[in-house]
Amino acid sequence: MNIIMVKKIRSDGNLCRKSAEVSLKLEDLNLSDRINNVVFADEREFNSPGLELARKYQVKAAPFFVVQREESTQVYTKYSRFLKEVLNFQTSEKEEIAEIMAQHPDLDFI
Amino acid sequence: MNHVTTVTKPPLNFNQIQSEYAAKSPRQILEFALEKFDNIAISFSGAEDVVLIDMASKITKNFQVFSIDTGRLHSETYRLFEKVRQRYDIELEILFPDAKQVEKLVKEKGLFSFYEDNHKECCGIRKVVPLRRKLGTVDAWVTGQRKDQSPDTRSNIPVIQLDNAFSTEEHKIVKFNPLANWTSEQVWKYIRYFDVPYNQLHEKGFVSIGCEPCTKAVLPNQHEREGRWWWENAAEKECGFHKDNIKN
Repeated sequence: MNIIMVKKIRSDGNLCRKSAEVSLKLEDLNLSDRINNVVFADEREFNSPGLELARKYQVKAAPFFVVQREESTQVYTKYSRFLKEVLNFQTSEKEEIAEIMAQHPDLDFI
Repeated sequence: MNHVTTVTKPPLNFNQIQSEYAAKSPRQILEFALEKFDNIAISFSGAEDVVLIDMASKITKNFQVFSIDTGRLHSETYRLFEKVRQRYDIELEILFPDAKQVEKLVKEKGLFSFYEDNHKECCGIRKVVPLRRKLGTVDAWVTGQRKDQSPDTRSNIPVIQLDNAFSTEEHKIVKFNPLANWTSEQVWKYIRYFDVPYNQLHEKGFVSIGCEPCTKAVLPNQHEREGRWWWENAAEKECGFHKDNIKN
């Protein structure tokens, strides 16, 4: 199994908030070494490897994970689901909710 | 012999329905939603989405409505909840946040933590957790979301969609946004024409209405979203990719 994590670099050169948060969480949980490759979706560089993956898999937000197995490839846009299904690690409700809100900013106004 | 008859409704073809209903009126979309789903609920925030309740009441007398009392709403919003409950003779289900989660947040960070970090944690506890709990009990829900409410986050909302935020592998939830293509002007024409009760905060310059500490009146020609979480930097919240960068 090969796991690729895609992080976003904003047009100001900084990592996007969610990519930074998830990276920290993976470090805190000692799970960073389970990620085989980290690539960047650099908003300033159309051909950056992360943006190519975003286009290929039609992903709209970062971070996301591409999990390549011998017979299949699966893309995870939800960090909590990736953690649970791929790394066998259960996240808290608070983390799940935070992720839902980050991925669905329109919920702010419900 | 098995005397139990199971009626299974065919799965929805979202693309087909979306294109078929994209140009239809909110009432037609709401009629479709209420006809298609028995276990469906209308989300009522206490703002302009009150028109959905008025429309639904003209279609059927049997529909569910819920609101979320975050504990921080304006008194005008509570009064509107009550007015709507009486006017339409409906059982308005009020959802509350988990007391333990709120107590922990307030104990650790005080009552105005959202001004220091950002509003997400508070909104998550007070609004999204109870919303998810409710949506776990229904097959579909109806929102008052409109494209014109936020060019950043709502410009592409369809009239019907699979709710990717709250659906799970085991429980798929359908989300209807009947007002998606309406403008604020159309909503207010409807409110005035049908004498629909509205939040008195609108008469004080409020357009988008949420919790009291996080909502303020806006000036003429200011976008309604400038009245919400005005102290936060929108750019820092942005984790989505720019459209041009993910076009093939």
